[in-house]
Amino acid sequence: MKIILDGKEVTAEAGRTILEVARENGVDIPTLCHVPALEPAAMCRLCTVELIENRRSRMVTACNYPLRGDAEVRTDTPFLRQGRKLIVELLHSRCPDSMVLKELAVRYGAELGRFPDDNKDCIMCGLCARVCERVGGNVLALCGRGVEIRVDTSFGRTARHCLGCGACARICPVNKIQIRDEGNERTVIIYGKEASRIPLRPCTSCGTPFGPVIDLSLIMERAGEAQVPAFNLSICPACSRRNHARRLAERHFEQYEIEPHEAGEDD
Amino acid sequence: MNTATSAAAVLPEVKRLASGQELEQLRQALIDRTDLNAPRILVCCGTGCKAVGSLDLLETMRNAVAASGAAIKVVPEVKRTGCHGFCSRGPLLTLQPEGLFYQRVKPEDAEEIVKQTVIGGELVKRLLYKPQGAKEAIPKVGDIPFFAKQTKLVLKRVGRIDPFDINDALVHGAYKALNKVLTEMTPDQVIEEIKSSKLRGRGGAGFPTGLKWESCARQPGRHYVICNGDEGDPGAFMDASVMEGDPHAVLEGMAIAAYSMGSDRGLLYVRMEYPLAVQTLTRAIRQAEELGLIGDNILGTGFKFKVSVSTGAGAFVCGESSALMSSLEGKVGRPRPKYIRSTEKGFRDSPSNLNNVETYANVPEIILRGGAWYTGYGTERSAGTKVFSLTGNVHNVGLVEVPMGTSLREIVYGIGGGIPNKKELKAVQTGGPSGGCIPIPKKFLDINVGFGKLAEIGSMMGSGGMIVMDENICMVEVSRYFINFLVEESCGQCTPCREGLTRMKDILTRLTLGEGRAGDVELLEEIGNFTNSFSLCGLGTSAANPVLSTIKYFREEYDAHILDKKCPAGVCKPLYYYEIDPEKCTGCGLCRLKCPAKAIAGEKKQPHTIDQELCIKCMECYKNCKFDSIKIM
Repeated sequence: MKIILDGKEVTAEAGRTILEVARENGVDIPTLCHVPALEPAAMCRLCTVELIENRRSRMVTACNYPLRGDAEVRTDTPFLRQGRKLIVELLHSRCPDSMVLKELAVRYGAELGRFPDDNKDCIMCGLCARVCERVGGNVLALCGRGVEIRVDTSFGRTARHCLGCGACARICPVNKIQIRDEGNERTVIIYGKEASRIPLRPCTSCGTPFGPVIDLSLIMERAGEAQVPAFNLSICPACSRRNHARRLAERHFEQYEIEPHEAGEDD
Repeated sequence: MNTATSAAAVLPEVKRLASGQELEQLRQALIDRTDLNAPRILVCCGTGCKAVGSLDLLETMRNAVAASGAAIKVVPEVKRTGCHGFCSRGPLLTLQPEGLFYQRVKPEDAEEIVKQTVIGGELVKRLLYKPQGAKEAIPKVGDIPFFAKQTKLVLKRVGRIDPFDINDALVHGAYKALNKVLTEMTPDQVIEEIKSSKLRGRGGAGFPTGLKWESCARQPGRHYVICNGDEGDPGAFMDASVMEGDPHAVLEGMAIAAYSMGSDRGLLYVRMEYPLAVQTLTRAIRQAEELGLIGDNILGTGFKFKVSVSTGAGAFVCGESSALMSSLEGKVGRPRPKYIRSTEKGFRDSPSNLNNVETYANVPEIILRGGAWYTGYGTERSAGTKVFSLTGNVHNVGLVEVPMGTSLREIVYGIGGGIPNKKELKAVQTGGPSGGCIPIPKKFLDINVGFGKLAEIGSMMGSGGMIVMDENICMVEVSRYFINFLVEESCGQCTPCREGLTRMKDILTRLTLGEGRAGDVELLEEIGNFTNSFSLCGLGTSAANPVLSTIKYFREEYDAHILDKKCPAGVCKPLYYYEIDPEKCTGCGLCRLKCPAKAIAGEKKQPHTIDQELCIKCMECYKNCKFDSIKIM
């Protein structure tokens, strides 16, 4: 399949998305709601490009448009730049302190004051909900409709099946989901509201609360046991590192007769 | 609800029909039993007439007929039917076989109608329809311009049959086409026939139906035949009246489509706000299943087709094909972000053929009479007829079926009867919230309504809503209304639709409050063009049309709002005031009496004045003044 990408001819396998082909060929199409590991949702529309097929031109989103035959793709026309500028301006008014949007604003010359701020603290990319469905406990979803659409748990209640994995906070492009570990509890905070609470389990070695108490069997099942690396679920990362270091020390420095510390019970 | 005149008493017990012959025998028996010259009283029980009390009328009519039964030789049958179409005159009553037409009938009139007309053969004059400005009333349906100028193909049986009684539908030819298809035609022949008819989808996009069926039929896997009855455009009720008035036409069309693409499963998606349509369709499905016209081994041919009704949950966006399928699957009704046709992967990722109610209702007649016959109606590119729901500032509000290519003049003046209160026609809005406003006095009154022509001038056919607007309609307010509707109905997934429309709404609201700023129109255009090209689904990519078309044709009205802070139509309250022209005012005092705010003062036979501090701009004086002396300033 021959694709003319911004005037340059490239080849592509059928079924690949425009975004994949563009990235392979060093063309940068901006995205906000896309990560390669998740199914594209085409919500932010920032990756919209012009596609010319059979002499017919139309606007499509690069993240989810599968190329099926010879086509021409233009990723950076004045019209597209104008549209992206507006998207950045509109999203910026929802989330005025976002660094990602500020960078994009510079790239597309956005006039950031054009629309009054409404501080919704979310650009509605939906990544948290999608990653929660795939990786976490599937407790977040896009709720409501139209202007009132928001990320929420079922019926707005504190979620009971949250794993506390923190994937939602990690993936949020505007860093608006907070994970707070306090005492022996982890809280996930969305829009300043508590979305879930997960007890933290104490390290069997040092007693510090660390990872969330979760039902590992679920995760094992989902991952397929073979793919889960062997790890010790009852000690905290700090103790784990310490133990590992000690083992190394024992192996390599035994000859120097250095007294090892007391071993952890799961060592 | 009852099917009072059930056939069971006269007919031999009807079991499942085992062949096409048996169907025709049953039909013949039913026709023989029906005396077409026997008097029948048809009471319109469409949603419009129901709202003004036609069910009470039906009841009293039945009682009145029963009470006087002894006095007449042939007891007329009182029949509840679907919408007759002339909704502004409801409740409606037609007396057959004479074809007498009574309008605005109240239950109290029932006895009089029976005594005077049914027994005495005299007309009840005050119930007759009199066109605006005419001296003579018109007694017969066939002579009333509203009906006479229409061409009814889709609505042929609507208003004539009892939608709750399959026997009545059979008498009027239902399932004849299905029989023909199953016994005489191959699936490919069916598709060819539909292709040759040049039938295009009636839901709005106008995609050729035959091509859609063909591409769906070619796909491997289990096929689904889906009917879109989620008619959500404000002011549109065409599909409602078809589903409510002639459900069997829709079922038959779907069954034919299913046969052509080898499907065995049909789904009707009807909006929750149409409870009557859900009732008629559910009843129709059950009756058809009992007769073996739907279900397993239809008419003994081995063809199997099951249909069920699903209701929406009140979302406009579920009329969009992929959102409709999500909703049918039990998911949230949001359009799915996939570049794949639903004829390839639709409902449950299987090939699905989605058509509008009216499209399916067109099919049986095309099969019976042939594609060539159908192309005899309409224009080269838009064949057949189209049902419009004519609403707004027009005398005859109701359902109108005309051949494609009929001029707006004919629809608005010929059928619609013109604009009330001697007002000027200003614009016609077509295509629902995604359509546009066509300015009328300027140049477009003689435009032929069809798919191509409307798109050319910045509007669209849509599903057939047609709102007539007079000079007292403010175009800025109209845009604000539609954008506000769409903001509420947007699914909220994609940025341009969710954010862009919200911003447009903010700007338009500001304009109607008199807080417009220079550059607002340009900003509206910028956002509008952007949402139209960057949005995810059909709702978003056409959402800005009402704004863009009004800016294109009524730019001066926007400018008046922004620069002069005036609303020329007298709609946006902060932007106008009423004033009495002392030259014209005769001092009759009518406005003073009518004014609820007591803002008008004046001596008898002296020009009156309005106290602007007290005026609440309710328009009472403006509407009541007989001397045209009250001005919008």
